[in-house]
Amino acid sequence: MSLKAAERAHLLALADDEHMVGARHTNWIGLGPFLEEDLAFCSIAQDELGHAIGLYEILLADDPDRDSADLDGFAMLRDAADYRSCWLAEVDCSDWNDSLVRHWMYDRAESLRWGALSDCSDERVAALANRALREETFHLDHAERFMGRVAGADVTGKIAASINRLLPIARGLWDELAEGDPVATGFASRSVAELAAEWETLIADDLNKWGVDIILPDGNVSTGQAHRSIRSDGFDAFHADLQRVILLDTSAVW
Amino acid sequence: MKTYEVFLKKAGRDEFRHAGSLEAPDPEMAVMYASETHARRAEGAEMWLVERGNVLVADPAILAVNDDKPHRHNDGARVAARRKERREGDET
Repeated sequence: MSLKAAERAHLLALADDEHMVGARHTNWIGLGPFLEEDLAFCSIAQDELGHAIGLYEILLADDPDRDSADLDGFAMLRDAADYRSCWLAEVDCSDWNDSLVRHWMYDRAESLRWGALSDCSDERVAALANRALREETFHLDHAERFMGRVAGADVTGKIAASINRLLPIARGLWDELAEGDPVATGFASRSVAELAAEWETLIADDLNKWGVDIILPDGNVSTGQAHRSIRSDGFDAFHADLQRVILLDTSAVW
Repeated sequence: MKTYEVFLKKAGRDEFRHAGSLEAPDPEMAVMYASETHARRAEGAEMWLVERGNVLVADPAILAVNDDKPHRHNDGARVAARRKERREGDET
C-alpha cells in the first residue's frame, strides 16, 4: 500500500520524535536515581526506539527511492533539515527533573497520537499502533506514579521550573505539518488539533490531581519550528553524537 | 526505600520461584519496578511480591537438628538389602 504525502509526513514526524526522545532517554543508562528506576527508564527508552524502528520500516518499504535495508542510514544520516522531530523530543534534558517532566508530557501526547492510529486504514500502521499502545500503558503508569509522588511535594521548585521551561516547547508536538493532517483521508481517526486540545486538558488535570498549584505558561514554539522543518538549538551536537559510531566505518554491517 | 522479594511463576504447572529482590518506596512502585527488573523478557506469567519485613524467617538452629536423621531418608536401601539377603538365603 502506498502512503499519501500527508500520511508519510505524519508517520515521519512520529518516527523522528520516537527516535530522538528514545535516544535522549538512553542518556540516563547507569545514571538513574536508583537501580530500579534506571532499568525502568531505560526500558521506556528502548520501547520508544522500537516504535521508531517500526515506523521507519514502514516508511522505507513504501519509498521506491530508498533501500529498505538501510534503516540505520535513514535513521541517523539524514541531513538535519530532513528530520521532522519536534523540539520537545530533541531538547537536552540533562537535569533529571527536566527528563521526568518531558517523559510525562511526551507520553501523554504519544498515547493520544498512537490511539488515533489504532484503526488506521494501513494495517501495518494499525498493528504497530496497537503494540505501542500496550507499551504506553506502562510508560504512562510510570510517569503518573513518579510524577504523582514528586510533583506535589516539590519543595525545591525544580519540577515547577521544568514545567515552565518545557510546556511551551511541548506544545510544538502539535505543530501542523506542511503536508496537512491525514485525518482528512481517514488515515488517522482524530485530528491533530483535537488531540492537542485533549492533551492540554490531560496535562492540567494531572497537575490538579497531584496538587501542583502553578500558573501554566502560555508560550508555544510552533512558530519557530515552522511545521517541524527547523531543528532546535543543540540538535547538531546531538545528531553528531548519534552518528559518532556509525560513521567510524560506513561499510560495516551492524 | 523498602526491600521487596520477587517470586515468579511460568505458565503451566511450575511452582512460584524466588527471582530476586528490589528496592522501592512503596508497594505500588514495587510492583511496577518488578515487572521491569525481573520480568521484562517474559520470565514469568504470574508474580508475587512480599515486603522483606513480612517474611517469617526461621532460626537456622531448628533446621540444624535435622542434619543427623538418616532414618528419615527413605531411599529404599535397607529394604533392598533385606530382600537381597532373603533371596540369597532361599538359594542356599
